[in-house]
Amino acid sequence: MTKASIVIIGAGISGVSTAYNLAKAGMKDIHVVDKGYFTNGSTGRCGAGVRQQWATKLNCILAKKSIEFFGRANGELKYHKDIEFKQEGYLILATTKEEDEQFTKNVKLQNSIGIPSEKLTVEEALKIVPHLNKNSFISATFCKTDGHVNPFLMTEAYYLAAKRLGVEFHFFEEVKEIVVGGNKIKKVITEKEEYLTDKVLNAAGGYAKEIGLMAGVEIPVFSENHEILVTERAKAMQGPMVMSFSKNIYCQQVPHGSFLMGRSNPDAVPSHDISSSWQFLDEMALTVKDILPEVAKLRVIRTWGGSYNVSPDRQPIISDTKELNGFYMACGFSGHGFMFAPITGELLTKIILKQELDEYAHDLHIDRFKENIITDYEHSVV
Amino acid sequence: MIKYVLEESGEDMRIDEHPILTFAKDKKIRFTFNGKEMFGYLGDTIAAALVDNGIMEFSKSVIHERPRGFYCAIGNCGSCNMTVNGVENVKTCLTLLEENMVVENELSEVIIND
Repeated sequence: MTKASIVIIGAGISGVSTAYNLAKAGMKDIHVVDKGYFTNGSTGRCGAGVRQQWATKLNCILAKKSIEFFGRANGELKYHKDIEFKQEGYLILATTKEEDEQFTKNVKLQNSIGIPSEKLTVEEALKIVPHLNKNSFISATFCKTDGHVNPFLMTEAYYLAAKRLGVEFHFFEEVKEIVVGGNKIKKVITEKEEYLTDKVLNAAGGYAKEIGLMAGVEIPVFSENHEILVTERAKAMQGPMVMSFSKNIYCQQVPHGSFLMGRSNPDAVPSHDISSSWQFLDEMALTVKDILPEVAKLRVIRTWGGSYNVSPDRQPIISDTKELNGFYMACGFSGHGFMFAPITGELLTKIILKQELDEYAHDLHIDRFKENIITDYEHSVV
Repeated sequence: MIKYVLEESGEDMRIDEHPILTFAKDKKIRFTFNGKEMFGYLGDTIAAALVDNGIMEFSKSVIHERPRGFYCAIGNCGSCNMTVNGVENVKTCLTLLEENMVVENELSEVIIND
């Protein structure tokens, strides 16, 4: 039996970010449990992009604050390596008139909160990524401060900093039961240990719904397989992430030379499947050949899949719940948990320590779905 | 660049006698490796010709830049990937040598954040 101030379920980026921020705020006896190895879940499977070009104000704010943190992460976390924060931008292609019009609105929204994005013509976009097929899009938006962070190194940076502040981590330890009594949490029972605690953070990524149900809390999220591939290394040829929602692709060259690219499967059904399919490779190849013919010449090294934990409005749930005291959640990131992790940890720390929250953060509460509050729906998702 | 030779005889790395296989040395072919003129034989793969010319360092590891040599020889490992006639990532273990080929293994333009 171990006494814990809080048990954080999931040692992915959201879990380690919150553990670090809580410990920095002075909380002791923080225990993080994960059923697998370090970065086994969605964090270690993600596309490694970080962007601020969103269609909803809420996502723009979360992204902007997170990007600011990535810029100072090595120093603040006293990381002995480098998180590989590369700011060479995101170039988002518009391929239809509707998309072009939507992007004009998006840029206006982004600029209004200080995100330096801009609308570009085809010619201007070609100056940034010369090997783009000029016939494959009609306009673009570009934000030079978007970019790339290495998910493994970022998670390790948080993990090591949290450990130095006394946080205890338990890998290969699956949570089996959350014991609840009288609207309070009593215990978390894992396959190896019992933790006496009155607080639980659900940062279980693809398994957030199941962890919620363990505590009797319904969370309106589901998981969906998103596939991704990595190519052999090539000489540095593409600075920004190139992305298109209508063509269903994101594609970036990472610092060691490989390209990472992914797309969503319109026919995916909610499940914990994370397998790879030949259909993904087939469609991906056709799309890359269309937009970035030079990149299509590279060979694929491997493919894999990971879970998007999807919320009804494609915006995250960073929240406590009236149903159960001491139960907190960071889920429903809809594919963007990695890039929002810095602000996720900061907000949850304020929620858990009952500090005052900025106005915008109330919109991340789970009750927005219960009360049928009309929220913005995020369309800028691959 | 180190030239590897058999210590006693001073011969190069080419196998001349083999219990089962025979290797014809029909036509001598000129090529360049990182700008230096070299010769192989018709029917050689690029990698075989390089080894015959004493080239042991084919590429470098990504993070620590340790030398990587001729390894799997069947196109799987990527250790022998080089730029051939300007085309990157050519598997030299599977590609036959041609007259006047320009072979390079410089990967210095890749940004490595270590």
